[in-house]
Parts: sequence; structure tokens; C-alpha cells
Amino acid sequence: MTILDELLVLGIAASVLFMFAGRFKLMRFFAPVVYVGMLLILIKMSVLVSDPSVIQIHSSLQLTILSMNLELRYDALSWLFALITVFAALASSIYLSGAYAKGHVDGDPPAHVIQWVLLINVATMLLMLASGDFISLFISWELVSWASFWMMALNHKSAARKAAVKYLIYAMAGAMMFLAALGLIYAAMGSLAYVDLITFVMQQPLQQSVLLAILFFGAFGIKMAILPFHLWQAKAYAETPGPGAAFLGAISSRMGMYAIIVVLVQLMGSRVLNTGLADTPVDLQMIFAWIAALTTIIPTFIALQQHDAKKLLTWHGIGQGGYMLLGVIMLDSIGSAGGIMHIFNYASYQAALFLSVVAVVYRTGTSDLNQLGGLVTRMPLSFLVMLIGIIGLAGLPPMSGFVSKWLIYRSLILNGEPLLFVAVVIGTLGTILSVYKLIHNTFLGQLRMEHQEIREVPWSMLLPMLVLVSIVFITGFMPGLVLQWIAQVQAVVGLPVVDYHLGGISDAKGDLDMIWVSLILFYGFGVGALIFYFLGGPSRRIHQYDNYAGGHFLTSGVRYHYSNNFYPGLMHLIGNWYQGFFVWCEKVIYSVISFSAQLFENSYRQRQPAFLLILIALVCLFYLIFEHPVRVGN
Amino acid sequence: MNELALLVVFPLLGAFLLPAIATISPFISRYAGPFILFTVLILAASAYNTVALSPAAIHLGGFMAPLGIVFYIDPFSMMMAVIIALMFLLVWPWKADTPVRLHSLYLLMAASSMGLVISGDLFNLYVFYELLAVSSYGVIAIQSSRSAPAASLRFVFLSAAGSVLFLTGIAIIYTLTGTLNLAHLSMLAQGQLNNFAAYAALLLMIAGVGVKAELYPVNSWVAEVYASISKPLAALFAGLMSKLAVIVILRLIWMMQPDAQFLHLLLILGMLGVLSGELVAWKANDMTRILSFSSIAQLGLVFIALSIPSENGVFLAVLLMLHHWLVKSGLFLLITQLHADPTRLKGLAQASPYMALTFLIFILSLLGVPPFPGFWVKLQLVMGLSEMQQSIYYLALGVVLTATVIEAAYLMRLIKQMYSPQPAAMPLPLQTVNSQQRIAQFFALILVVSMLFFNPVNQQIKQVAAMISDKVLVIKTVYPRYYDSHHHLQQQASLDKQLSSVFEEQRL
Repeated sequence: MTILDELLVLGIAASVLFMFAGRFKLMRFFAPVVYVGMLLILIKMSVLVSDPSVIQIHSSLQLTILSMNLELRYDALSWLFALITVFAALASSIYLSGAYAKGHVDGDPPAHVIQWVLLINVATMLLMLASGDFISLFISWELVSWASFWMMALNHKSAARKAAVKYLIYAMAGAMMFLAALGLIYAAMGSLAYVDLITFVMQQPLQQSVLLAILFFGAFGIKMAILPFHLWQAKAYAETPGPGAAFLGAISSRMGMYAIIVVLVQLMGSRVLNTGLADTPVDLQMIFAWIAALTTIIPTFIALQQHDAKKLLTWHGIGQGGYMLLGVIMLDSIGSAGGIMHIFNYASYQAALFLSVVAVVYRTGTSDLNQLGGLVTRMPLSFLVMLIGIIGLAGLPPMSGFVSKWLIYRSLILNGEPLLFVAVVIGTLGTILSVYKLIHNTFLGQLRMEHQEIREVPWSMLLPMLVLVSIVFITGFMPGLVLQWIAQVQAVVGLPVVDYHLGGISDAKGDLDMIWVSLILFYGFGVGALIFYFLGGPSRRIHQYDNYAGGHFLTSGVRYHYSNNFYPGLMHLIGNWYQGFFVWCEKVIYSVISFSAQLFENSYRQRQPAFLLILIALVCLFYLIFEHPVRVGN
Repeated sequence: MNELALLVVFPLLGAFLLPAIATISPFISRYAGPFILFTVLILAASAYNTVALSPAAIHLGGFMAPLGIVFYIDPFSMMMAVIIALMFLLVWPWKADTPVRLHSLYLLMAASSMGLVISGDLFNLYVFYELLAVSSYGVIAIQSSRSAPAASLRFVFLSAAGSVLFLTGIAIIYTLTGTLNLAHLSMLAQGQLNNFAAYAALLLMIAGVGVKAELYPVNSWVAEVYASISKPLAALFAGLMSKLAVIVILRLIWMMQPDAQFLHLLLILGMLGVLSGELVAWKANDMTRILSFSSIAQLGLVFIALSIPSENGVFLAVLLMLHHWLVKSGLFLLITQLHADPTRLKGLAQASPYMALTFLIFILSLLGVPPFPGFWVKLQLVMGLSEMQQSIYYLALGVVLTATVIEAAYLMRLIKQMYSPQPAAMPLPLQTVNSQQRIAQFFALILVVSMLFFNPVNQQIKQVAAMISDKVLVIKTVYPRYYDSHHHLQQQASLDKQLSSVFEEQRL
């Protein structure tokens, strides 16, 4: 039994065991222990990212179904994704197993049920990362989709269930596109191994490969919620029970990114992506890049307008997926490093942000941004977590988000794409604006009277959040730690390898050294702190409610907190552009289906269907009698 | 081997003697039917092993083909015979106060179904088909609800019209060739049935049989009839009767080996069936209606599979039929004693988790979610359609995949209702699990077991289907003497000529 088998079997066995024994109190810390075990196995497997000679670790399982061989293997890319998956699950699971288990949020099932479904999600994802051929990829892809659906459907409220079913319909449409692509490969090649796709691209006319690439992009893009398939994600993830949503947002949708890297980049490559469509200069790389850029802009500005903290974060999730796709689709060393690193970075700060929002919900009972405010003094550590999280999300130094975004910007400029560069910068602008709204409306501003007695969340919930933000900071300070893995991933996938060092990258046209950047930043802060604390005038601590406006004392009942309609000027400019185009497209599809259904139903309401049958018969017989006279006898 | 004629004779005899037996001893008459069916089941199961490698032919009355009637026993017909006996046993009316004529009618249906699957003669096929139809009219009439007469009458008209078309087609074939033996006709098909008249006859026959096989557009009876009969009977109809009609069409297509244009027509009708079934099911808000239209759609898939030429098409059709039998019969049996309105399903998961789990297993397999068997069936259909590499088959592939997405929409609606918490005002959806629902759970168990052993099951069905399509094997079995004396001939054409000349002598 190889290491890979140990990992997969651990996941599956733990899920089965938890199914029967999960509800007992002793099993509360079972799931975190399992994830720690998986992390240890992954550390043992880290030869994949440290030793360039080890390309793949195979499983000892040999399965042949319908004369097709199923292959399971891990390579550097799978390892990276597995690491992110297990770590995100560990954070969510520790969060769930402590005090959160005792409290009860409206509509959620008991905590051990969420733990169990989380285990199943992790086990299916690890299986998917191990796929070595298209059949196992498809099967595990479906299993992951249904496991995510189950996680979303755990919330009893009917709005949550509706969002989950909508997700499932989208996921089914994606799976059918995937199946269509597999059918095309099978028809030409006769089997469904990964090498068959490589051979297909070599042998068949390029336009067929382009069609395949479009089908695959549709299938994987739906899971990633790329425009125009993005309408399902925000609501579905927002309604998922708390820490489960942190996990789903962090890594579930990035499964589409994994599949895009494996299929479109590794197996199909630039030969297909740089082919002009139907002899035009437009190629798939351009189309996908622009779709990614639009995905970066449009959902980010929708996030700006949300007044539910969870929905704001999930709309951001859609937007950040655009960054990842854009980086990877540039197919060069710096951009793809940025794109892949963004997957890692985004997982860490998305989990941190989501967990801090869930902490606020746990204490106050609401995630509505118009009902919160001023919690910085009551929940300082959660504030710190959210602060570091939003600095990361916005892509500002010294956090890790800056590194990946900088790499993507750099790659766009080096590749001569100024318009795309402007597009992603607009996206970043939107991100900065909306995350400021998030932290201001939750933690800054005026404290509400009913939240006066709120305490900080217990350590079982704080610990995973703090660990996540320390990762965000450390990988921002020394991005070389992650870039080391990413260089190996690039080598395995066939992309040009980025030239990295501990502080960042070295490039002929300009280096990045985060150690220096962070040190200079802290130096600046240090100087500022020095001036403020030691060279300034005397200062005195006052109560949070001791406020004046125009010399007049403001009682705590007076609401002066600015939260609703946060950016009226901006909305005035761009509000008209959001006419709900994609929602309208969805409605059009729905109407077409509804209309066709009515047409067919009318065709079924025949009073005397026998007449139709006799009519067919008469037509046939007329043909017989007049066209081909029947001769009797031999 | 001749004892296999008992498969038809025993139930037939039982059907006619039961009213007489009932006057003598009511106790015997209650259990005679199931006893007969059980005997037939054992007979068919043991015959399956015998014919697994080499099929057999029974020449009834000792008259050789093509004058006499031939029963062709191959593994496929024995498999279907086992399924038929099993289904009739499972939906048997066990209640003490059922009238004896209902038992007789059920036995008649069983006898005619058996005859249908083993018959090797075209007109014999028609006779058994008619017998099945007429006895089913009787069963519907006895078992229907009070609102049923209009639906049943429309069904009777449509089905009778279909039977007349079937007969007309047979008559045309007979005038063209002078023989009614399926094996003989398959030999003559290249030469004498390659003209428009024969194709028109085939169209008439398929349109006629298509009524029972839920072919578009003559399947308007399905929803109303299934709504008016009891659920176990609906399980029988949707699960079994439609399959038998498809088997008739399968034999006709095998016999005539139509060219690509005809198969394209069948493909288009299949596509329309799939689309119409899924779309109207999506719109429906009555459980039986949803299941009936889903059944139409699945049978549309079977027609799409049949339009793939060569033995791959036959294999896919058989696989789809078997899967649909398990799932649809199971679903119909499962919804007995559940309310027709899907919104009343709320709270089912809490009231009876295993019922909800069974429902979920059936629906996931119907959708084609791995690792359930439905996925492997659908995957092979996708592979079979893409292998054709013609644009109309790619269109069919697109239709099949789109239909799956629509299917997901309405089936998940049902699952959502089941797993919703029960609102306080509504009564519980389920009191206790009844025997039919237990049978449905048994079907789900079979489905799960076949999922674990799918590879060997798939291989077995592939072999069985290959034997159906193997023309040489069939002719060898039915005409051993003539084939042996001419076995050294290389070409099929001269074999045909030689054989037909021999038959000419025999006829004159």
C-alpha cells in the first residue's frame, strides 16, 4: 500500500467510521485528528514538491471497468491542492468542534453532521486530485459536486435548499458538457486515458480540439462560477452552514481551476489555446482571458452592493476566481505562478474572513451589515483576523495577496495586454472598496446598544483563525516558501518555471523582494508609531460611547453610524450598468424550457389519438398503393 | 428442451382452468396462480444456464420451419422469462377477496408475455401481442379507479388501431416473401425486403407496436392510464409491458436490418420522445404524471439506442431496458400510499429514512450519477452515440445530455421535498411501510449490488446481446439440417439462394 493509498483510505475509512460513531461526545475531536493525520501523510509525500526527479506517486489499486483502466496518482499539482484542502478542512473542523458545537445557529444541523459531510467532501476531493484518467476524473468530479451539494443542503431553510438545487442543476449541466467532451475523445481515440487527449490534439484537426477546449472550459467554468455561469455560487455558499461555507469557498470551487490546469494547460497546452478560432486572429487564450477579466470586475462590484456579510464574501469568491484563471491562462512563468499562488493565498484569507464573519454571527446572531458596527473593542482578535484578511484580499503589502496579484499584473504588462491590466486593476479597486465596507460596517463605527455585552469568541474558534492569518502574513513576508512548491508544479504541468527566491521572484525586467518591502513598510509604521506615541501630545483613553458632534453630546441611542448605501457616488456612476443582464439570460433559458414544455404537453392532449395513428397508416398505404404496386404471389 | 413450451402452456392452462378450480376449491385457486408462476420461474432460470452457450429451437408439433411455428430459446428470452415471472409474482393480487377472473387475466398476461419473448414466428408474435393487449384491457378495467373509463377507452382504441396496423404490416411482409418465420425472413431480407413496400410495412408495424412501447407521438395514453390504475399495476406496465413491446420492435429490426435512413427516423422519434418526456415531466406536479413522462423519456433513450446499427445498439437497448425496469418499477411501487402531490412528501426523510434513501438511490441511478449503474449505462450510450461520428447522432447526444439536466431539475425537486422538515399543519406522509414498498427496497438492493459487480454484469449482458444479433447463429439453430448440408458455402448470398430454392421445393 503506497502513501497515496494511505491518504485515500484514511479519508474514506474516517468518513465511514464517522457515519456510525459521529454523534458520540468522544468523537468530537476525531475529525481534526484525522486531518492532522492527513497532513502528516502529505508531509511524507512532500518529495513531490521538493525533489524534481519524483514526478508522480502512484496508487497500488488497479481497477478495470468496461475495458478501461482507472489510474490513481498524485503529482505536485495534486499535492498543492491537497495541502490547501486538508488545511482548510482542519481549520473549519477545529472551529466546529469547540464551543460552536454547543451553540445552535438557526437552520443548521448538529455540528457532528457538518463534520461528517466535511469529511466526505475532503475524501472525495482527495480522490479527485488523484485521478489519472478521464473516467476516474469524471466519476470523482461528480462525487465532489454531489458532496458540495450535500454540504449546501444541510441548512434546513427553504431558501438555502433552493440555492443548493440551483447549484446542482448548473453542476449537472457542467457534467454533461464534460461527458460530451469525453464522448468526442472516445469516438476518435477509442479510450479515455490522459494520453488519448494529447494524441487527439496532435492528430485531429485543430478546430476539433478547439471545440473540446470550449466544452471543457464550460464544464470546469461552471464549477468555478466563471462568468456567465456565476449566478449559482454566491447565494448557495452564503446559505451553507458557517464553517462549511469557509471550506467550500476556500477550495471547492477551485476544483474547477485544478481541472483547467490539468486538462487545458497540461494536456492540451498552447497548441490549442493559441489557435485562431475558425481562421480568425481571436484565439481561446484571448477569449478565456477576457472572460476572466470580466469575472474579476462584475461580481466584485456586485459584492460592493451587498449588505449581507456572507454574500459579500461569496461574491468576492467569484471575482477572485477570475484572477486565478487570468494568471494561469497567460501560460508564462510569472503569470501562471501568480495564478496558482492566488489559489493558495485566496484559500487562506477566504477561510480566515469567513470564519471571522461566522464568529460575529455566533456572537451577535446576524450577518446583516446594517445591523452591526463598532465591535472592534468587544472582539479585538476577530477584528485583527478580519483586518489581515481584507488586506490580503485587497492585495496590499505585506500580505500574500499582494504577491500573487503583483505577479499577475506584471505578467499582463510583460505580455503586452494593457487593457486586461486596466481591467484587473479596476477589479482590485472594487475589492478594496468593498472589503473596507465589510470591515467598517462590522467592526468600526458606532457600537450598537444590544451588542454592548458581547465577548470575544472562545479559543477553539480563535485558534484556527489566528493560524490562518499568520499563514497569510508569513507567506506574504516570505513568498519563496510557497513559490518553491509552485515552481515544481509548473515543471510538472509543462509551464515555464518561475525564478524564485525566499523573498519573491527574480526577473530580468524587475525583481520582487517581499522581505525588503515588508521591512520598509514596518519601518515606516515604526517611525509613525514613534512620532504618534512618544513625540505627540498627551493622550487619554475614553469610553466608546463618549462622542460629540458639533459640540453636542451624542447619546448611545442616537444612530450616526454610516452603513447603508455606502458608496452613493460610485453607485450613481455605475448603477445603471447593472441591469441584471445575466439574471435576464437565466430567465430567458427558463422561459424557453417552459414554453417547449407547454408545446409538448399540448401535443399530448389529443382527444382521439387513434386518428393520428390511422392518418400515418393511410399515408403509408397511399405510398404503397400508388408508388409501388404490390405483386401478389412470388 | 421441449419442456420449455410449458413456459407458455402452463400459465395458459392455469388461466382457463382457474374459474373451474375455484368452484371446487377456493383455497387451491388462490394459490394456484403464484404456484404456476413460481414453477415457470424455476424452469426459465434453469434453462438460462443450458442455453447460455448454444441457443435451442423448439419446433412445435414436430412441424419443421417455415411451415411450423418455432420457439427460439436463447439466453435473452430466458432472462426476460425470469423477469416476467418475477414481476407477475411481485404484483400478484394477494388479497383474499380478489375475483378469480382477475387471477385468470393475470395468468393470461403472463402466458402471452412468455410467448412473446420466445416466439420465432412473426404471426405468432402478433397473436401473443394481441393476447397480452386484450388481457391487459381486462385487468385495467377491473382494477381502475372510477375516473378511469375515458382514459382506458382511449387506450383501447389506440392500442386496437395499433394492432390493426401491426397486422397490416405482417400481411404486406407475407405477400412479399411468402413466409412468416423470423429466421427465414432475416435470410430473405437482403433480397426481397429491400424495397419501399417492405419499409412501409416495417413503419406500420413499428408505429403499431410503438403504441405499447410508448413511442412518440402515439404515447399520449401513458399519463392518463398510469394515473388511473393502481401503482403496482403501473409498475407492471411501465416496467414490463413497454419492454415487451420494445422487444417486438427489436426482433422486427433484427429481421429486416433496415438501412441508415430508417434508423435515422427511429432516432428522431426517440429524440422527440426524450425531449417531450423530460419537458412535460418537468412541468408536472403530480407524482404519477412525473413518473409516467419520465418513463416515456427513458423509452425514448431505448429507441435512440436501437437506432445505432449492429450489435452495439442492441446491447445498449437491452442494458437501458433492464436498468429502466429496475428503477421505474421500483419507483412506482415506492409511491404506493404516498400522496400524489409532491409537496405532501415533506417530512418523509424524518418519518422513514430508509424510504427516503431508497427513493434517493433510484433517482440517482435514473439520473446517471456515478457510481450507480445508471451512470455506466448512460456512459456507454454516450460512447456508442459518439462512435457513429455522424452529425445526427451528435445531435442525439446533445439531446440526451440536455434531457439529463432537465431531469435533474425535476427529480431534485422531489428529493428537496422529501428532505424538507415537515410543516406542523400537514399530516405525516407515511404511516408504515407496506409490502410493495418493501419490494421496491429489494429492487434498490439489487441495484446497489449490481453497482458493486457491474463489470461482470455488463459482460454477461454484452454476450447475451451479441447472441441476439448473431444472424448466423439464429439460422443455424432454427434450420440445423439445411445449414449443415450447406455449411461449406462461403457466401451468404448463395446460401440464401440455396436455402430459398429448398424452401420453394418444400412449398410446392
